[in-house]
Amino acid sequence: MMRTFAILGVALLSASAPAPYMAGSVTGTITFTGTPPKMKPIDMAKEPSCAKQHATPIETENVVTGPNNALQYVVIYVSAGDQGSETPATPVHLDQKGCQYIPHVVVMHTAQSLEIANNDQTSHNIHPLPTKNPEWNKSQPPGSPPIVTKYENADFIPVKCNVHPWMHGYHIVLATSHFGVSGNDGTYTISGLPPGKYTLTAWHEKFGTMTQDVTVGAQPAKADFQFKATPY
Amino acid sequence: MLLTTGILGAILTANLATGNGAYRAYAASLNATAHKTKTIPAFARKYGLRCSACHTAWPELNAFGQAFRDNGYQLGNERDSPIFQNPTYLPIALRITPQFHEESTTNQVVDAVPGDSSIKVQRRLTTHGVDLSGMDFWTAGTLYKDISFVLLFSSDNLASFHFESAFIRFDNLAGSPWLNAKVGKFELDNLISEKRFLFLSNNGGLYQSYHFAPIGDNNGFGIGDNQLGVELAGHNVGSYTRYTASILSSSDGQPGLVTGNSYDGFFTFSQAFQVPSLGVERIGAYYYLGQMPTVYRTSGGAPIAGSGVDNKTFYRVGLAGDLYAGPIEVLPFYMHARDDPFLGTSTPGNQALPAGARGPQWNAEFVETHEYVNARFVLTQRAEFVRMAQQAIPGTPTNVGDIDAYSLGLRWMPFMFSRAGLALHSEYSLVRTVGGAPLSGDGVGTPPLTPTTNVWSSSLLFAFDFAF
Amino acid sequence: MRLFLIALVVAATTVQAQPSILGGTREDFRRYCAGCHGNAGDAQGENADWVDPKPRDFTLATFKCRSTPSGTLPTDDDLFHTIKRGLVNSNMPSWKPLPDETVMNLVAYIKTFSPRWKTEKAGTPIPVPPEIPVTADDILAGRALFQKMECWKCHGPEGRGNGPSASTLTDSKDQPIKPFNFAASSRFKCGTTNQDLYKIFLTGLDGTPMPSFADNFKGDDAWHLVHFLRTLQQAESPEKVVWTEWLSTHQGQLKPIGPEGQ
Repeated sequence: MMRTFAILGVALLSASAPAPYMAGSVTGTITFTGTPPKMKPIDMAKEPSCAKQHATPIETENVVTGPNNALQYVVIYVSAGDQGSETPATPVHLDQKGCQYIPHVVVMHTAQSLEIANNDQTSHNIHPLPTKNPEWNKSQPPGSPPIVTKYENADFIPVKCNVHPWMHGYHIVLATSHFGVSGNDGTYTISGLPPGKYTLTAWHEKFGTMTQDVTVGAQPAKADFQFKATPY
Repeated sequence: MLLTTGILGAILTANLATGNGAYRAYAASLNATAHKTKTIPAFARKYGLRCSACHTAWPELNAFGQAFRDNGYQLGNERDSPIFQNPTYLPIALRITPQFHEESTTNQVVDAVPGDSSIKVQRRLTTHGVDLSGMDFWTAGTLYKDISFVLLFSSDNLASFHFESAFIRFDNLAGSPWLNAKVGKFELDNLISEKRFLFLSNNGGLYQSYHFAPIGDNNGFGIGDNQLGVELAGHNVGSYTRYTASILSSSDGQPGLVTGNSYDGFFTFSQAFQVPSLGVERIGAYYYLGQMPTVYRTSGGAPIAGSGVDNKTFYRVGLAGDLYAGPIEVLPFYMHARDDPFLGTSTPGNQALPAGARGPQWNAEFVETHEYVNARFVLTQRAEFVRMAQQAIPGTPTNVGDIDAYSLGLRWMPFMFSRAGLALHSEYSLVRTVGGAPLSGDGVGTPPLTPTTNVWSSSLLFAFDFAF
Repeated sequence: MRLFLIALVVAATTVQAQPSILGGTREDFRRYCAGCHGNAGDAQGENADWVDPKPRDFTLATFKCRSTPSGTLPTDDDLFHTIKRGLVNSNMPSWKPLPDETVMNLVAYIKTFSPRWKTEKAGTPIPVPPEIPVTADDILAGRALFQKMECWKCHGPEGRGNGPSASTLTDSKDQPIKPFNFAASSRFKCGTTNQDLYKIFLTGLDGTPMPSFADNFKGDDAWHLVHFLRTLQQAESPEKVVWTEWLSTHQGQLKPIGPEGQ
């Protein structure tokens, strides 16, 4: 009798457990077909303090590829099916080092705090070019505290430094906290997703967007994206 | 301009022949609608502004356009020097007006039987058809920062050209907008510009006040005629306060030093101010003091051009305004004028005046109104009166030479653009002259047989006025 | 026939719309502004292609000359003064002769082109403290800031707009743009006074590479820089007088501005 009750109790408990206890995830690999453009080495002669930080010149980062046709810096996010999300309290960090934005693409939630640090010996100006948020432009001399800012609206924002014209990056502002960015091996993970059907959108700064539907269950779901690369 | 040359021709002929210079209407070959371009699409092309930025309805200037002009045709943004333009930019514009018009004048003296000049009668003469206006070929702009120029090469409808305006201007001397100097042939600084007004017909395309001389007077001067001289002008930034002081050769603008050695003076002042919910209001005053030679030396009986002596004086003085009530503009004008008795009776200075001769005096006024329905459509009206206050010869009826002039018109511009302009122009003008030929007219103008007869002259005009 | 034609002309001239329909701010915008800024305020006027720098695109609500921080909307006063003053080194004229009321109505009309004006309020104007007296030390401090803040990288060591980064500058619409050349003009983009210059680098010229230095200046720094910048101009100024005098007695003591000065 006690055993029946115990089994029933456990069954009841597990049946009424709230969904997050059973949160799933999506992983995948982003690759490309075709021929991507060649990245060019950056001449930093106009900024010797940065040039000397790189033994060999770094390359532009519009299209960064990895082994086995992997595509880096693709942002994959839930574009439909999300139950809503809260703005995380922790800030997102962006660094300027060696006259480069690190990371090249930084992703945040709407209204999430973004801290931009300047760890170079030269001034930079941070000049985002949003379409859904106000445009601003601030100077940041070396040694000054990080610039703390946020964006209220979802947006895909190119960012540049006017003093150093080779510096390009992206601030990606999403209305969801369920996103991932592909690494140099092309893989990404989005975790903390309740089970259900979702639409994922993958965005690359040059090759556009692709969407895919995915169902999240107990096991990690898989969603790969393959972009068509063009040389120019 | 055709009126200028015609009237000067009349002056010279009158002076030299000591005859009656009363015939004001010009010869048939000068039959044309008055063309007084002061619109310059070349400016619109240079600065990328629509015509309507500077003009209420081209060619009339608004307050912004007036400030641009006063600044030496410069916007003042360090982009005015020609080096900032594409080298192929030429500051050239042209304007001409193909039209249909009808002219009709009463009480014209004609032979009762054509070909037989023994009996004369008075008849109404009417003519109409498709015609051309004169043409204006304009170039104006900057030679350098704060050095500007204008050249207006103007023709009648038979392509007989003359220089209507040609001057160089030094702007913002000593860095101050209060000092600008202009040398050459130019329009006098009349607050209400006849060159930039909205009328084109034979009878309506001039201000009677700006060209009137009493019957029997051989002074060909008109305040609307472009003059040769030097003008010192000044204005504050934005041109709400303006003054000019000019010294002009006493030649009524005819080049070649063909009159004498005398000079005239012209002084103007105007002040503009904003009235809330009405707009910018401007009022001004002017004074012209001039002289004309009345005797030319002769050689073998033939007069020597440029040798004019025995100068006699005249003056023109008055007030003018440019008032706005939103989209309605009112332009009032008043003039009081006097010519010397020698001029008034066409008597050379070395002869005796007729008994009791006095200097003729007259008053002239007009009120003109515009309604700007929008930036491309304007309605215009004018009523003008010239009234003799004192006749030169005692006993002449007081109203001989009086003029009433009325005009109604509209201009519609199908596009308002920055490269070129087109206006569809309709106008009806009616002029009554007592005892004289109409000042303008269809070229057939003759004085009536009796000095107190009213001569009515009307113009009806449908025109395509374009400028590039 | 004549009577008919006359009647036609008279009828045409008596078609008089009521004053409330005549004119209007939309008409004023088309009359004065739309040739460059476009009927829709999107900088697609027929002359926009031929104008450099390009006309302001009102649909983005990004403006150069403000008294408010970078990224915020300007005040109505900012827009009013920009229209009345014009923008030097551009095709934007000074519309000073227009009636004040017309310009205020145009400001309100311009705000209808962007939805931002409905959701955001204008920024708070930055405080402009009283100007400090001009002294040699103050100008030297400004010179040091010009070096340290790396203004010379765009504006050049003498402020002639020929710094190392000058040739690659682009504005927010990717159009090439030149940094301000202090030596060529006695005016600034957003005015003529020291206060105007103060505001320029504390608010930045939004839409251009010129950033805001609001986070980087403390105390009287900004006035020091303003006074130093005046010495770079050609026109005579009290700052130039003080500076020329100091230079004459301190020959060769200054380190040059630029990479060597770091």
